[in-house]
Amino acid sequence: MPRVNKGVLVECDPSIKAILLKIDQDAGHAYIIEDLDESTLVVKEQKLADLKHQLDAVLRKTSMQEREEESSGDDDGDF
Amino acid sequence: VVDQIRLWQIEGERMKTTPGFLFKDFASEWDFQDTARYAEELGILAWKDSKRRLMFATRTEQIVDYLKRRGEQQAVGRKV
Repeated sequence: MPRVNKGVLVECDPSIKAILLKIDQDAGHAYIIEDLDESTLVVKEQKLADLKHQLDAVLRKTSMQEREEESSGDDDGDF
Repeated sequence: VVDQIRLWQIEGERMKTTPGFLFKDFASEWDFQDTARYAEELGILAWKDSKRRLMFATRTEQIVDYLKRRGEQQAVGRKV
């Protein structure tokens, strides 16, 4: 008999998956049950909402940094 | 504000999530292929990798019942 684990199959872009792996690693592997392939993994059901929030925070931070870099780039151009 | 809205729009498409069950540690290649085929026939197979003998199904009861029945049949077969 194979082993059966309850979870949520998450399919996403490989770049998003890389962020999810990093979040999981930093949290002592609290979220991910199994890394399946380059765009698929299985996450603990009770941890999914938390993981989505963590991802939001990372993406928001990244897009803020990009905007800061863009505006500082403009400044360089002006002067 | 526009950026915020754009962010939430992307959020909807960022991850596709499917609740279910991960099956692993199959005893043999045949065990895996037979179980995956059964799950596929039922339309509950969401993902599989034959090389690593891993599969994800949206339901588990029917598969567990099937594996029990299959095990009993094999036991009977050996006695006969």
